Amino acid sequence: MATTTLRPRVGVVKLTSCDGCQLTILDLEDELLALTERFDIVDFPEATSDRSAGPYDILLVEGSISDPDQVERIHDLRARTRLLVVIGACATAGGIQAMRNWGSVDDWASSVYPDPSLLRVLDRVTPVSDHVKVDAELRGCPISPDHLREFLTALLVGRRPQLPDEAVCLECKRRGYPCVIVAGGLSCLGPVTRSGCGALCPAFGRGCYGCFGPREQPNVVALTGRFEADGLTRAEAGRRFAGFTAWAEPFRAAIPEDGPARPIRAASRGASHAR
Amino acid sequence: METSSSIDLLRDVPFITGLGGAERRRLASFARVVSAERDEVLLRETEPTPYLAIVTTGRVALRMRVPGRGPVTIATVEPGDIVGWSAVVAPYRATSTAVAVEPTEAIAFAGPQLRQALETDPDLAAALYPRILRSVARRLEGTRLQLLDLFAKPEDAAW
Amino acid sequence: MVTAVRSEPQASAFLARADLGSLLDALHADGRTVIGPTVEDGAIVYAEIGSVADLPIGWRDEQAPGRYRLAHADDERAFGYAVGPTSWKRYTFPPRVPIGRARRDGDRTTFEPIEPEPPALAFLGVRGCELAALRIQDRVLAEGPVTDPDYAARRRASIVIAVECTVAGATCFCTSMGTGPEIMSDGADLVLTELGDGFLVRAPSPAGRELAARLPLVDAGEDRLGEGRAAVAAVREAIGDPVAIEGLPGRLMARLDDPRWAEVAERCLACANCTLVCPTCFCTSVAQTSDLDGFESVAERTWDSCFSGDFAKVAGGNFRARRQDRYRQWLTHKFSTWVDQFGSFGCVGCGRCITWCPVGIDVRDELMAIASPPARRPLPVAVATQPGAFVPGRIASTAAETPDTTTLVLEDVDPRIAAGSPGQFVMVTVPGLPAVPISVSRFAPERRSIELSIRAAGPATGSLHELPAGSTVGLRGPLGRGWPVEAAEGRDVVVVAGGIGLSPLRPLIDALLADRPRYGAVRLFHGARTPADRPHVSDLEAWALRSDLELAVTVDRADETWTGPVGVVTHLFDDARWDGREAVAFVCGPERMMQATVDTLRDRGLRRSRIFVSLERHMECGIGLCGHCQLGKFFVCRDGPVFSLHELGDAFVLEGI
Repeated sequence: MATTTLRPRVGVVKLTSCDGCQLTILDLEDELLALTERFDIVDFPEATSDRSAGPYDILLVEGSISDPDQVERIHDLRARTRLLVVIGACATAGGIQAMRNWGSVDDWASSVYPDPSLLRVLDRVTPVSDHVKVDAELRGCPISPDHLREFLTALLVGRRPQLPDEAVCLECKRRGYPCVIVAGGLSCLGPVTRSGCGALCPAFGRGCYGCFGPREQPNVVALTGRFEADGLTRAEAGRRFAGFTAWAEPFRAAIPEDGPARPIRAASRGASHAR
Repeated sequence: METSSSIDLLRDVPFITGLGGAERRRLASFARVVSAERDEVLLRETEPTPYLAIVTTGRVALRMRVPGRGPVTIATVEPGDIVGWSAVVAPYRATSTAVAVEPTEAIAFAGPQLRQALETDPDLAAALYPRILRSVARRLEGTRLQLLDLFAKPEDAAW
Repeated sequence: MVTAVRSEPQASAFLARADLGSLLDALHADGRTVIGPTVEDGAIVYAEIGSVADLPIGWRDEQAPGRYRLAHADDERAFGYAVGPTSWKRYTFPPRVPIGRARRDGDRTTFEPIEPEPPALAFLGVRGCELAALRIQDRVLAEGPVTDPDYAARRRASIVIAVECTVAGATCFCTSMGTGPEIMSDGADLVLTELGDGFLVRAPSPAGRELAARLPLVDAGEDRLGEGRAAVAAVREAIGDPVAIEGLPGRLMARLDDPRWAEVAERCLACANCTLVCPTCFCTSVAQTSDLDGFESVAERTWDSCFSGDFAKVAGGNFRARRQDRYRQWLTHKFSTWVDQFGSFGCVGCGRCITWCPVGIDVRDELMAIASPPARRPLPVAVATQPGAFVPGRIASTAAETPDTTTLVLEDVDPRIAAGSPGQFVMVTVPGLPAVPISVSRFAPERRSIELSIRAAGPATGSLHELPAGSTVGLRGPLGRGWPVEAAEGRDVVVVAGGIGLSPLRPLIDALLADRPRYGAVRLFHGARTPADRPHVSDLEAWALRSDLELAVTVDRADETWTGPVGVVTHLFDDARWDGREAVAFVCGPERMMQATVDTLRDRGLRRSRIFVSLERHMECGIGLCGHCQLGKFFVCRDGPVFSLHELGDAFVLEGI
């Protein structure tokens, strides 16, 4: 695709998120210039003061839907976007903040804010796909720069992005790391989690946290069985899934009903909750 | 032949299991319980078939007239199976004589009303025809196995 | 100074432990990087070895399905472990290798393969199973119609120093696969065997001999050779023979719809660990790395796995969508279709897939469950089990059952025959006539008596059928595997008899009724040709009177007096209300009747493993020697005549088996 043709108009928006995925875009440092020659980045608050209300050829959406304004906004954005791409665990799975879904939002709010009445939040945190049709997703917490590069290149070159739906175990084994479950008795979510991070945590002798979310046909039941055999109680084994992609099925179903965590009750209104 | 108008079609008759409520009520409107003593005739070969009936207790023998041999029992019908499928297949005449060989009870659906219902109610037709067909198919399979005369002395045995 | 000894291929020299470094020095002097075992991340992996100190000296590995731990012993052994998670394919067939470049320059588009430039390596510590694996990958990747140039180049650029196993791993089964623990394949340049104070060394190849010439080797001597042999023999003894591979390819392919596939799929994570630690798995994908404009693109070959979701995907579908399909693909490839494709098994028995499976699925168990080796069933305790031998039995009385069936009541019968089990048969003979197999229709051990109900269907049975009381017949038996009455304990029982098939079932019914409380509901269905053709009428009448037994008899053709059911025996129960899912069925009659019966029983929910049939075949000896009664992998006379549907599989329905 020569640069004389019209460049695709790209926008990047943020909902409820930490900004890490947007930073990953910026981390493509050396290639950013080349990218901007081929994409017309019309709206990217993290990176530029240019603003545009669309229409977008490609809209990268970071963050989960956590308040009513975001619901309205995402529908609005969807209407003005050709290719809507969700990026990161918040947008694809609800993110770590979705763990509040196991409790009551009022309990959570009261334990954090002196005056929760000022908040307008939804009862539940949800991924973008619960609200609008999503055309593509880049998973991860944060997304993988390689995936992003591949995705953008694929769009330009015209091929299907090579984002394999395979277990983290393949990345681990390609890199030659001995399995931490087998050799260490750790509870690693690698076998049920989609690859993309390069088996980062096993590289440091830790079990996978499931950042990239469930892969196709994840056998959560068999894996929790292994964790229990290694000494975890059923509840502990289930809570291993209570992380960045806790709300994604079937991770969600594995987490015990009383949830991943509980809000800390404030002693009285206005009291500091710091512990 | 006694008839009774008290219908309890919620009785768990396998033939009716799975039928929707509307279909059952429709059937109930022209169903009656038929009782037959031993040797009582329910259907006569070549005569118009009065009903299609689901046998609930007892046993019904199906007999065909063979000149020179008298009536020959070709099959019997056990509880759960039907007699009178010809009530819904033209020319709506019984293909064998059905005789109770034991005190028998059956739930009978009057022929003309049943045909009318099947013609005007597609849902009922979609539910009933497969069941009737299955029953007839099994009878055909059974007849074929009888025809094979599997217990006959083998023509050419090794020893 | 020690003189170098020129090693002959079969002779062994000895290298003192202190001199092991000289081997590394010689390899380094040749410009080779030595790859060998070293401890890293809690495992013994293959990585670059700089000096002897890098070897896993004193380390042991403890392996079990899904479990691997290192332990440190207090000794100097450098190779005291079995195998670790890495295999040599990491170096011969690396996980990610660039293989081609495509360039677009205006109108010109060029494609060029990337020439491999492999480093010169030395593989130190190659086990017998691993050497076999290298040879297997050679056949797949370098000796077929198409060669992978990268693999071939890397193999050419590396020298192989094998080390025989002197410890057995708990998941090893090289013995069964014929790949170890001794070094059995060719392809090694040097072969070492670790002893207490050093290593036996032999050099099977010219490159190996050249290397050995530079080492301070001495003559090994008989004692050391003996020590080496004993050490490896002890490993063979410790491993045993866990997998029966004879006939395995055929047995596996015959069980493609075994329910075990679905069962193992419940446990399997499809995480691909097994395929990636396996030294022979070679499946790859090609990944494209291109610049933003697609002007230049490099294709890289990467390790992939048949367990991954996308592996068998095409536009519009996935050929192996289910986990059980993928597991079946892997296991049948390794142990069956690999043989068709490449002339050997794909598995070398290294045990890695067992150890490194996070849920500990053990292929040895799975193979046993799905493709268990034929059990050479021992003959039951029987008499006259020798061709030509028979014991006498005297006909005390006869009774006509039907116009063509007579029951002979035999007395003074050998007690072992009289004590046979329901469903067993005897070979019966009279002088001048061939021996024929007849099911025993009643056992009366307390009277040393049996009953034989014989249907006149040919000359031999015709003669037996006519024998008067007082005659003597020759008997061999009791033969065959009878009805498994114990399978019916605590369950509802369905007995379906067709014609004379009631006779082999009569002892079963006797047994059920003799111990009635052990069984659930007992339902007996009998089909006869006509009312006059019912055998054992007095038993039928007695059974009809019992309240603890449901009996229904039907005929194909009725007579004028018959008021009972008319029709095939299956119509007696195909509309019945009872649930067959936990029931057991025993069926006997003409085979076509049994097939129809079995279909109806399956419709009622009975499981294949709980439906038993009794088969009839031409038998001349009854003891598995004449070959006539073969049915697939069975001899009906000794493996049957009673079989469960599950074990018969296709053999029950396919024509002409």
